[in-house]
Amino acid sequence: MDCSSEDCNKQQDEEVLDIPLDDPEANKAAAKIQASFRGHMTRKKIKSGKPGEEVRINTRECSADVELCNRELG
Amino acid sequence: MAPKKDVKKAEPAKPAAAPAPAPAPEPEKPKPLDLSSVKIDFTSEQQEDFKEAFLLFDRTGDSKITYSQVADVMRALGQNPTNKEVKKILGDPSVEEMNAKKLDFDQFLPMLQTVANNPDKGGFEDFVEGLRVFDKEGNGTVMGAELRIVLSTLGEKMTEQEVETLLQGQEDENGCINYEAFVRHIMSV
Repeated sequence: MDCSSEDCNKQQDEEVLDIPLDDPEANKAAAKIQASFRGHMTRKKIKSGKPGEEVRINTRECSADVELCNRELG
Repeated sequence: MAPKKDVKKAEPAKPAAAPAPAPAPEPEKPKPLDLSSVKIDFTSEQQEDFKEAFLLFDRTGDSKITYSQVADVMRALGQNPTNKEVKKILGDPSVEEMNAKKLDFDQFLPMLQTVANNPDKGGFEDFVEGLRVFDKEGNGTVMGAELRIVLSTLGEKMTEQEVETLLQGQEDENGCINYEAFVRHIMSV
């Protein structure tokens, strides 16, 4: 293998993948993509229903059921 | 006859003590952004919507959110700030401050505006180009496995959980991802 010792180490670690760990441009580009990914995931999570609101609604439904139960039991 | 008054010589003006400007010590921390000078461009209708969403995140009933929630609230409102950007806007808080310090909507709004004004935001083309780097065969796809590693080792590293959530259902039977479609999907929400 004809490569400098630095490259050799990196190549050994990421033989199959060519990840530019030290490249500031690559890291900056990655951070931007990750930012849009995180934005997307947060919005998706919220669209699927915020836990806080769901809990409130469930509690209401639960109380209604309890009332029904009590009536049935006489 | 009015007595002549000796014209007194004007007293030499006392040398005004030159106010020695206190030399501002070079702050080691980056100066917090001056949020008071940020002009709000959002319409009042938008601001009302933002405030409504902001209050959904209030968990203690005091109409405030913690510093640690700021990034997520911004994301919920359609922005895609990097964590570094948010930290800078918050004045580089410590971990304790992130969890303890709070802010109300009026303090949050100029921060949101600052992020919205950032000209350096990536767009569809930027993301596709960024991912194209890993398109070894130049066929419009990247290996899911490779993307996983990139996302968890470069930039603002994502956790395994985050990456799994993100890539769920995106890989084809060969473990490949059509990145143009992927980016389009990401940007649609």
